[in-house]
Amino acid sequence: MSEPLLSATQVTRKFGDFTAVDNVSLTVEPGEIVGLLGANGAGKTTLIRMILGLLPATEGDLRLFGHEPSRQTRARLGYVPQGLGLWDSLTARENLDFVDQAFGVDGTPMPEALTDQADRTVGQIGLGYQRQLAFAAALGHTPELLVLDEPTSGVDPLSRARLWDTVHEKAESGVGVLVTTHYMQEAQQCDRLVLMSQGAQVAAGQETDIIGDATALEVETDDWRAAFAALSAAGLLVSLAGTRVRVVDTEADAVAAALADAGLTGTTSVAHATLEEAMVVRERR
Amino acid sequence: MKAMILKEFRELRRDKRTMAMLIALPIVLLTIFGYAANFNVDEIPTAVVGDNAAPIEQQLPDMFPVESDVDADATAQELIRDNVVDVAIDTSTQPAAVYIDGSSLFAAQSAQAAFAQFPDGAVSVEILYNPDLTTAWVMVPALIGLILTFIGTIITSIGLVKERQSGTIEQLAVMPLKASDVILGKIVPYFILACVDMVVVTVVGVWLFDVPFNGNVALFALGAAIFLFVVLGLGVLISTASQTQAQAIQMAIMMLLPQILLSGFIFPLDAMPTVIAWIGHLLPLTYFVEISQGIMLRGAGFDSLMVNFGVLTLMAVVIFGAAVARFRRDLAPSAHKRATKDGAK
Repeated sequence: MSEPLLSATQVTRKFGDFTAVDNVSLTVEPGEIVGLLGANGAGKTTLIRMILGLLPATEGDLRLFGHEPSRQTRARLGYVPQGLGLWDSLTARENLDFVDQAFGVDGTPMPEALTDQADRTVGQIGLGYQRQLAFAAALGHTPELLVLDEPTSGVDPLSRARLWDTVHEKAESGVGVLVTTHYMQEAQQCDRLVLMSQGAQVAAGQETDIIGDATALEVETDDWRAAFAALSAAGLLVSLAGTRVRVVDTEADAVAAALADAGLTGTTSVAHATLEEAMVVRERR
Repeated sequence: MKAMILKEFRELRRDKRTMAMLIALPIVLLTIFGYAANFNVDEIPTAVVGDNAAPIEQQLPDMFPVESDVDADATAQELIRDNVVDVAIDTSTQPAAVYIDGSSLFAAQSAQAAFAQFPDGAVSVEILYNPDLTTAWVMVPALIGLILTFIGTIITSIGLVKERQSGTIEQLAVMPLKASDVILGKIVPYFILACVDMVVVTVVGVWLFDVPFNGNVALFALGAAIFLFVVLGLGVLISTASQTQAQAIQMAIMMLLPQILLSGFIFPLDAMPTVIAWIGHLLPLTYFVEISQGIMLRGAGFDSLMVNFGVLTLMAVVIFGAAVARFRRDLAPSAHKRATKDGAK
């Protein structure tokens, strides 16, 4: 088996007494898309900053292409930060030219959708176009590892789908991808997932591994709105799937009691938890 | 409106820098500048040369303390040119010739008024380097320094902090660029622009205000270049300590104000209390003003400006070095940490 593009072993990062990343291990192999999941403040961005060499790890071992993060390893890596890292007062073309020169390459093509926008400054073009430009800039030097920090945040569904097409295309050509995301649909497109909560790694594996044996209770009533309100008021974790009310991390008795208190009747059945529900349950524990 | 006022106060309370500017700064400014704001020079360093020095020295009013430790071979004009004293009296002529340094405007005005009280024919007075005591002649060389300070400190810090505020500095840090390339790449354009400004301001100042340029242009350029390193270093240092452009501007203004008021280009250092004058001597503009006025007005050479060049060079090395080190740490924290670890082994 080839060497992982990225290997983090028991990596910890502390800021004073606060542990932002606690003993996290993960690998990214060539052609693999690894999703880094977790709520805000889970430590995802801190972990990515360590991987990029922007923050030193307090403990643990981090290897990029078998070496410590350095200028040489950075040349083999493409990065799209949350804030995109584009220069607002430069045009789209000038941004690509600068990144090309920094990486010592030539002629990164302008994304097709951006050809009409090439001579406009980045500050003048829409966020969807900016994301496409940031992707193009990160891919221009044909990186072996792509690090994407919430790359589709604030993008409309169509543009998001296009960006994910690019991610899959690159993975199929052997590029390893590490991506953080809040969107479950995007998490489901990853080959492997690492779930972080409060700095620690709470689960890892494929979607089914993250879900494990987590279940949800599906509640059927005549008035789903009233049921949703009553269960929420009772402090239960409630979500909606269409007009079906789903409750996680509780027992059927508690659901029945909450419905009865509100003067409602209904039946509950056990269903497999979704990835999102499983994440919520794991984060609560 | 009440809610708006309350919100504003809450925000201000948590913005410690702005609070410091609002409360502490006015008190500090009032105290320091209250003492500094004095155009009246009470003591004017004086030298008396020639065969008849002793009786002349005794006749001089108290405001002309005679410097005893001056080069015995130097002429009165040379002592003025080399900025050893502001008034030099040659007693070998009859009547004694009094030379006053016109580039020290306020000292010269005080000295001129004092010697006007002498009986007719007792002394002959000549004001050197600025015979009409034109304010512009003294201000323009100093303004060159102030403009360079403005560009070097405010414009540079804003330009650099913009990179941090927009998050692109992180992007630069993950590119395979050497930290030194990034630092130089950021600073060189400002250095070039400041040089262009320096030339434009100097030429326009000389042309528009008829300010003489009596000294060596290359020496002036050298002094300006060293001074630029100092102010660019200050700009970079400010940028490394600021998260937003507003913070950078606040800090730059706090650096700029004392330089304007305590560098001797508005209020003479000789007229300030010793402690305030010492603060003035900690500021780079003080030394550049000496250099620019010395070279442009008095045609001073390197020998007489050596101390000013030396202090500015030391400041450039320390400030610019510290600025580059901090900027480098921002760009490559892992490398910095590794180096620290390796060093500790």
